Amino acid sequence: MHNRIRKKTLLTSLSVLLFLMLFVPESLAERMSEILPAGWADQLCLQAQASDTITLRVCNWEEYIDLGDWDEEETIELPSGDIIGENSMVEDFEEWYYDTYGKRVKVEYSTFGTNEDLYNMLTLGDVYDLVCPSEYLIMKLMAEDALVPLSDDFFDTAQENNYYSRGAAPFIRQMFENSEIGGEPWAKYAAGYMWGVTGLVYNPEIVTREQASSWKILADPEFARKVTIKDNVRDAYFAAVGAIKSDLLTSEEFRSDPDYAKNLEREMNDTSPEMIEKVQEWLKGVKDNVFSFETDAGKADMITGKVAVNYQWSGDAVYTLDQADEDDYTLCFAVPEESTDIYFDGWVMLRSGIGNDADRQHAAEAFINFMSRPDNAIRNMYYIGYTSVISGGEDPRMFEYAQYCYEAEDDEEETVEYDLSYFFSGDPENADGEYVIETPADQLERQLYGQYPPADVIGRSSIMTYFNDEQNERINQMWINVRCFDIRRAPWWSWILILGTLVLVGRYLIIRRLRNKGR
Amino acid sequence: MRFSRKSLGIPYAVFLVIFVAAPLLFLFYYAFTNGQGQFTVWNFTHFFTDPNTLGTLYYSLLLALVTTMVCLLLAYPVAYFLATSTMRTKPVVLMLFVMPMWINFSLRITALKEILNVLEGNLAMHPFLNAVVGMTYDFLPFMILPIYTTISRLDGALREAAMDLGANRVQTFLRVTLPLSVPGIISGVSMVFLPAMTNYVVLDMLYNSTYIMGSLIGSYFSAYNWHGGSMISLILLALICIFTLLTGNEEESVGRGGALL
Repeated sequence: MHNRIRKKTLLTSLSVLLFLMLFVPESLAERMSEILPAGWADQLCLQAQASDTITLRVCNWEEYIDLGDWDEEETIELPSGDIIGENSMVEDFEEWYYDTYGKRVKVEYSTFGTNEDLYNMLTLGDVYDLVCPSEYLIMKLMAEDALVPLSDDFFDTAQENNYYSRGAAPFIRQMFENSEIGGEPWAKYAAGYMWGVTGLVYNPEIVTREQASSWKILADPEFARKVTIKDNVRDAYFAAVGAIKSDLLTSEEFRSDPDYAKNLEREMNDTSPEMIEKVQEWLKGVKDNVFSFETDAGKADMITGKVAVNYQWSGDAVYTLDQADEDDYTLCFAVPEESTDIYFDGWVMLRSGIGNDADRQHAAEAFINFMSRPDNAIRNMYYIGYTSVISGGEDPRMFEYAQYCYEAEDDEEETVEYDLSYFFSGDPENADGEYVIETPADQLERQLYGQYPPADVIGRSSIMTYFNDEQNERINQMWINVRCFDIRRAPWWSWILILGTLVLVGRYLIIRRLRNKGR
Repeated sequence: MRFSRKSLGIPYAVFLVIFVAAPLLFLFYYAFTNGQGQFTVWNFTHFFTDPNTLGTLYYSLLLALVTTMVCLLLAYPVAYFLATSTMRTKPVVLMLFVMPMWINFSLRITALKEILNVLEGNLAMHPFLNAVVGMTYDFLPFMILPIYTTISRLDGALREAAMDLGANRVQTFLRVTLPLSVPGIISGVSMVFLPAMTNYVVLDMLYNSTYIMGSLIGSYFSAYNWHGGSMISLILLALICIFTLLTGNEEESVGRGGALL
């Protein structure tokens, strides 16, 4: 009897201990490792592993990196050599780092779903060294002084392994240097990963290209319940501003102004109370007009023909068009004339993770560089469909890949010349046709237009800056007003139903109680 | 040291403290503070003065109410006939009703989406109807099972007695079977009504872009407003508590009443 009780006590305390072990902070775990047998300690905390292994905690978007395991026939055959993803990018990096620098690095790779999720995870105390948020969260993190600046070494173009500094597209680099937060350029903290613009995927049998070239189509009753809009306040806000200011933004006068780019950015980032009011009204109209506010379903709804227009990021647009092609169903992509939101996802190092650990920072920067090596950039592009910020510099493979994807076959009847020198050349004015692709004519409205938008689209693109706390509060209130049911609009029958039920239930309860008391 | 059987509850108590009590404390803290960490009841008063948040509560209540009614109307006859019938295939039929519960609900809703698409043409035209259909589809088994169990446990002698005393079939049902099945109805209602107020995934998947309580809370958190989100969670929690207290009392008293009969 006594024995059994002791067993139970032991079991209980063991299970409590096990349970605690899952949740104790690492410092405590380390202390525990002194008490516990050696074998257990390794399991308990990774820091107890051989000390020459660097642990790098990376957090990236879901499905935003090549996981390898390609079929043989997926090999990308470029003039400068074949590219194929055999292992996952993370494994390749660990191996490459050991071969190059002679040190072991262990990447703990995790993912997030939205920028807001990532921010909340960080606020709650999750620790990462290297994360890949969008530009507006990078700006927010910069403003909060949460980032570690990239080292001088990282920008040294003489070093062969600095693939990012040697290969990032000049126009992206310029943007990173010219955009500032608190007097510091983005470039000091962030290295780009993927970029794109926002636009509209449309079905050319139902919608003309001209109609799909304005944000106003989202509120157009001609396409009632046939358009979808993004279910996030920033994208919705941008489209609303574009539609409301459409006349101004497309006017000749506005466009020919020498300060056009600056004016455009100011107009598109208008968060005055009056503008927020107008956006709210416009979006309320849109809510009654669109098929849905979607986060992910829009691609499938577009391919299955449930909707005719889908507000989409260019990377996902390319994916949608590709999928539709497989079903012999033709879709197109257009970027509204008013303006388009040019966006980036970029790598930044977090103060909370890196701290003063030089080894870890070196590994983090090497990770960025490895991702930026042209063959790896191509692998990621192929795998996820978005466009890398890497143009390759002296390495010809990035442009070869664009040719590989979009150059017309010899027997193609109608072809056009598509100039990409704004992206691939450091000096577009004098590129001399070096970066022109001979492409099928329909590519002007299709994948190529989404993958590498033409120069005129880039010309009318605008960065959308982050909302500060005050703007954030106002704009989110606006969003809630749009999405919530206004109680003043409740129909009469619903009041009867709710009040009627309340009265009936109340009556029933009282009668029951009285009857019970009577007994 | 004496060991009592109570010690076996320690793991669960630890679980409770870490995953239920502690988060609840955080919830209280955030609900009654503002961004600067000062005490405030603004979050509370704001919820009950803003026509939009109030409208969300109203919309969720309405949606849950209609769903519950439809479920009840569909489930009661089925449960009644299943429980009172003497057919040999009864277990099979019951199984057919329970089986959908084995399939992941988002898969079921995806399938439902295609069916509704064929029936309605353009799904986005009837957002409220879609939500009711989706939720009913999702929660119907939760209504059928408790009612079925209650009715099939009823003593058949009671019904025979009513008949012997001159009641016809309708009277027997209204005066005997229905009142005695109230506990089943109540537990069915609470299993449908409460989840229906917050199950926003169904709305999302069926193209209803109006917020209900669940999505409203989510929107606050993704806007970094933990204070407002926590307050709405608390209000929802309070509603659930009230509801449970009411129905809990009722089930008890009905149970006693049944024994007295």
